[in-house]
Amino acid sequence: MPGSLSILKLAGFKPLFAAFALLFVLANPAAAQLSFKPTAEAVQEDKLLNALKEGDKITGRVSIPDGMAASLIQPAGRDWRDFQRSKLPWIGGVAILGMLALLAIFLMVRGRIRVHQGFSGRTILRFASFERFTHWLTASCFIILALSGLNVSFGRILILPVFGPEAFATMSAWAKLAHNYLAFPFMLGLVIMFLIWIRDNIPGKLDLEWIKQGGGLLSNGKHPPAKRFNAGQKGIFWIVIIGGALMSVSGWFLLFPYLPANVTALQFWTVIHAVIAMLFIAAMLAHIYIGSVGMEGAFDAMGSGEVDLNWAKEHHSLWVEEEQAKASAPPDSPRAVPAE
Amino acid sequence: MKSFVAALAFAVIAAVGVAMVLNTFQQSSSVAFSTTGARVGDPGHNLIGPG
Repeated sequence: MPGSLSILKLAGFKPLFAAFALLFVLANPAAAQLSFKPTAEAVQEDKLLNALKEGDKITGRVSIPDGMAASLIQPAGRDWRDFQRSKLPWIGGVAILGMLALLAIFLMVRGRIRVHQGFSGRTILRFASFERFTHWLTASCFIILALSGLNVSFGRILILPVFGPEAFATMSAWAKLAHNYLAFPFMLGLVIMFLIWIRDNIPGKLDLEWIKQGGGLLSNGKHPPAKRFNAGQKGIFWIVIIGGALMSVSGWFLLFPYLPANVTALQFWTVIHAVIAMLFIAAMLAHIYIGSVGMEGAFDAMGSGEVDLNWAKEHHSLWVEEEQAKASAPPDSPRAVPAE
Repeated sequence: MKSFVAALAFAVIAAVGVAMVLNTFQQSSSVAFSTTGARVGDPGHNLIGPG
């Protein structure tokens, strides 16, 4: 062990080294002062970073076509990282778990909303096959996008310990691919939805009355009149359209990260994508609840497309009247429309 | 049920189709950002996949 021997030998000269050091310190007080500030440069660097205002950054010069690579230090990135690690999980947790808790409480207090007059046995076509196709196209993509997106935010905390690193890495890689590419049929579904349902989702005075009466959700058998879509459904429609548009635009920038002007813009769009996603998922949980467990007979609208006539009369009385008027109109009447 | 199955099938086909189309446009970073004066190293399979 030559190294150890050398150290032992040097240890013998320790008092001598100390005496020389003391002499050096006494003779050169300025140098001694510097030797007690080994982190002086780091402190200055920290002050420099703190002095940079939001949007400021230290850039260099690059010769490759990737101009973003010239960003050397961008202090705003620390705020972005802190947001991703601390605030976003709270926003997501409160929004999603809060919504689940609210729905559970609502189910316990209100119970399942029944068809007050019971099923009539007669049905009326509520959604044509193309409308159901569009709904399920968007919905199925949304579910995969939501789960794979939540995996990005919470997977490391919740799934990694259960799956283990190998399985989690494989699952996450596939989830990322699904997220990237199912975004496109999702966006297509949004556009079709907007085009086919916008006409029936324009807010009107009738919606105010529906909202005043709480949509009849809190009272048994008493439902405010509504056309094809009530105010609650219109709300869901606009959440989907506006939320979906924001998700699409921000997602487009994440899919093609060199479209935004700079790193700061890219970070901005990731925050928009993540926050809207959490709120969007929470809202869709309410939609899924009321369309399945929460309301008797509601699922049939998107299941078979035909709903029970009594259900339709209770929840969309004016729409039923319109449809029945169309059906009973003479063939030469200008109001008659071909059957779907 | 038919609408649901058709929607699922269409979503998968559309996603695969988009992936194929985009892959014809995409270049790996080692190719896209290399110039005659700067060569970007191939980061390998871990980041951008094979090829």
